[in-house]
Parts: sequence; C-alpha cells; structure tokens
Amino acid sequence: MVQYFADMVQAVGSALQGMGITIKHIWTRPVTLQFPEERQVMPERFRGFVHNDMAKCDACNICAKLCPVDCIYIVTEGKGKDRLMTRYAIDYNKCIWCSLCTENCHTGSITMSHDYDHSVYDRRSLVYEFMDPNVAKIPCHRQTRIEQGWWVEPKDDKDEGGKGDDA
Amino acid sequence: MEAMYAFFMDKAGMGQAGAHVTVAAIMATLMFIVMALCALVFTWMERKVAAFLQSRWGPMRTGRWQGWAQAVADMLKILGKEDIIPAEADKALFIFAPLLVLLGSLLAWAAIPWAPGFVAADLDLGLFYIFAVSSMVIIGILMAGWASNNKWALYGAARGAAQMVSYEIPLALAAIPVVMYTGSLNTQDIVIAQQGGIWNWFIFRNPFLFVSFFLYFVASIAETNRGPFDMPETESELVAGYHTEYTGMRFAFFFLSEYANLFLVSMIAVLLFLGGWWAPIPGLDFLPAALTFVIKGVLMVFLNMWVRWTLPRVRVDQLMHLCWKVMIPAALICTVGAGLWMMASGAAG
Repeated sequence: MVQYFADMVQAVGSALQGMGITIKHIWTRPVTLQFPEERQVMPERFRGFVHNDMAKCDACNICAKLCPVDCIYIVTEGKGKDRLMTRYAIDYNKCIWCSLCTENCHTGSITMSHDYDHSVYDRRSLVYEFMDPNVAKIPCHRQTRIEQGWWVEPKDDKDEGGKGDDA
Repeated sequence: MEAMYAFFMDKAGMGQAGAHVTVAAIMATLMFIVMALCALVFTWMERKVAAFLQSRWGPMRTGRWQGWAQAVADMLKILGKEDIIPAEADKALFIFAPLLVLLGSLLAWAAIPWAPGFVAADLDLGLFYIFAVSSMVIIGILMAGWASNNKWALYGAARGAAQMVSYEIPLALAAIPVVMYTGSLNTQDIVIAQQGGIWNWFIFRNPFLFVSFFLYFVASIAETNRGPFDMPETESELVAGYHTEYTGMRFAFFFLSEYANLFLVSMIAVLLFLGGWWAPIPGLDFLPAALTFVIKGVLMVFLNMWVRWTLPRVRVDQLMHLCWKVMIPAALICTVGAGLWMMASGAAG
C-alpha cells in the first residue's frame, strides 16, 4: 500500500520533471541552423574542398605525385625558366581529402578550404579547373613570374602553412 | 441565440420551426468551419511546439513567417491524393467509419458554450450529452480497424476501443464534483457558477477539485488517443493503427476529428474547471467572452502538446493499470471528498 502511493508520487514527480526540462527549450534558441542563410563556423583545421592559389603555384608536381588517388592534373610545357603551366585541375570525384598535397606544398599555394557545399548535377562538373580560362599559360619560374607582374611576393610569407587558410 | 431566433421569426417572417431549422443550420456550418480551422491551426501549432520543445525550428519555409502556410499546403496535398479502398476491405464500413468518427466530435461541439447565451444546443443535460456523443468515436475507430482487413489496423482499433471505453469512466467521474457544486448539467450554468475572478474557478475551490482537474486532464489525453497514451496508433509497432489503410480525404477526416477532439476536451476542461468565458482577473473583462474562452482552450491544447512531446509512450498494461487501479479510485475519492467539503463549508443546499 505504501509502495502504491510512493509510485504515484514518483510518477507525477518524474512527469513534471521531464516537462520542466522540455519547456526550457521553448525559451532558448533552437540549435538547428537555417542552412543557406546561416552557416556553421568550421573548425580551423576543417578539410573542405582543396583550393589552389594559382598566383603562388609553380607547378612543381609534388602534389600530383603524392596524391594517392591521382586526382590532381597538371600539364606543363617547356623546361627551366621557360616552363609554362597550361592546366591545373582537381577532380573532386576522386579526392579523398587526405591533405597530403597541402602538407607538402612548398609554396603554400594548395590549401584545404572551408567550402563544403558544391553540389552539382553532373559529376563532370566536379573536375575543377583552376586556370583562368582567359589566360592560356602561366610561367612556372618564380622570378620570371614576378618580373612579368604575375605575383608580388608578400613580406610575411615565411610562416604561412599549407592549411587553415580560408580560400 | 435568442436574438437570432427573434430575427428569423419576426423580421424574416418564418415560423417557429423554420427559425429553429435555420439557426441550427447556421450554427452547424459555423461549428464545422471552426472545427476545420482549428485542425488547420493545430497541425501547424503541433509541429512548431514539437520543434521548439526539441530545440528545432520546425516548418520555416512555407509562407513567410514561421512556415504558417505549411498546414494549408498539407491540406491541399491531402485533398489531391488518390482515394484507395483495399480490395479485401469491407467497402461500406470502410467508407462510413471516418464519417462516424467526425460526426462524433462534431455533435459534441454543439453543446460548447462559447459566450453567454451563445451555444448551438442549450441542453439541460449538456455535459452528459457531450460525454455520450463523444463515445461514438470509439465505434467509428473499431469500424475502421475492422473494415480495413489489416492486422495492424485491427490491433489498433481493439486497443483504441479498450482504452477509450476505460478512460470514459475517470473522465466522467472527474466531472462529477463540478456537477455537484453547480447542481446542473447545463454547460452554461456550469460556467456561470464560476463568475468573478480566478479564485472562483472550480479548479481552485478546494483540493479535491484540483485533483479532479488533474485526473480529467490525464483521462482526456487518453480519450483523444494522443501521446503518451497513443496506443491505437503507435507508429513503431502498428504502422499507423486503425487508419493504416486510409488515404486522401478519408484520412483527412480522421485527422480532422483528432484535432477537433483535442480542442473539444480542452474546451470541456476550460468550461468545467477553468472558468469558461470569465476573465481570470477583473481587469481583463474588456476581452470578448468567446475570445477569452478560445484563448484558454488554446492554452490547454498547448499543455496537451507539451505533455505529448515530453513523455514516452506507456505500455498497454501500464495504461490499464493507471486507469482501473489508480485513476478510478482517485476519482471516486475526489467525488466523496468534494461532497464532504461542500457539507463542511455549507455550500450544499
């Protein structure tokens, strides 16, 4: 008989306790983000779509050679100071976001960006061409490029790593 | 209401019978429109309340503000759906069941006193009538489950019938102390007896009435088949219970009656315990009586939704245990206690 009333008190008490917890969420802002308008702030080391800064890239081919899935396509012509880059493309169909390319890039041009919402209707659209279509060829040699006005070397370029840089 | 009768008899030159039929037709149409509207508003409200209780947004895209047009879009979608009757179903019963369910709730709406003198059917046995006709819903549910020729539907219907028949008893017993205080079953008289501020509402008259309100509230959740007592339609075990085989407009009837019933039990709670159309404090008298009544009803609906989206579903045996071994004895004790309290305080005649 005592148990009967104790159960009753416990049932009402626990129900009220539960309702007290849920009503708190009425006053607090929902945790859901309204995606296209609101975006989550990504962690600094988030591995989004790989981005290459064409101004810095000297087509050394290290990234393409290191890539375990061979998703980086680099086409060059000529040799030495006259070497010209004609294509730099990344196939995101293949990319496994291993970040080997960014960790070993000696110019710091290739980075993991914070982009993640590149939905496309055709998988061929996921092969990203980084060359400006209006520019057919870019000299690879750094000094030549600076002389031609392609890129002005930033002063504090020393500690710029390969990652964490929002594209 | 008297003004309406007078208008149709004197100004429009109708006989007494003609005036009665006209007023009844107007009120029935009005009730049906309000019922459809409340189903529309409460589907949206249910989704928003559920979402906010779970720290979500709920519908946000349809319509500009807070997804208000979602309910309208849902209704249009449901109207455009194909109407399927299973090959092995009992056709006549299958078609008739949703109508009976809807009829049960619509009939009960007739005796709701919206404002002083404004009630579709001013019956001396109003409260008894409401409880009686709302039991018709059980027959409709049983009919739907049987006619579907589907084991889940039949399980759901059998559970629904068992649950609703059981919970009718504490529901009605919880209302008895109020009827004892008022000395009348007329819904208008019950509200009029609670005139003058929140302290005159029956819920605060004495502790037994407070417990009665609580019992009524729990029983009313079970009566409307909503969580945590939604045994007839448990999604996880019975697909959708008695309305598994229904689509399109026939499903909409079940849906409509569920929300109509929800508002109905909330309004009965308001008229029995929460002062009907009377404002809680004298300063709020400027609000129209019907508006006060509806606001209180909507707050009760919110309470129902709050409970539904908080508590987990109970088992069938727990449900029956709660009804027969806890709530009915408690309701009987409340009835006796309220009677003794009345004698002691000299309120008895």
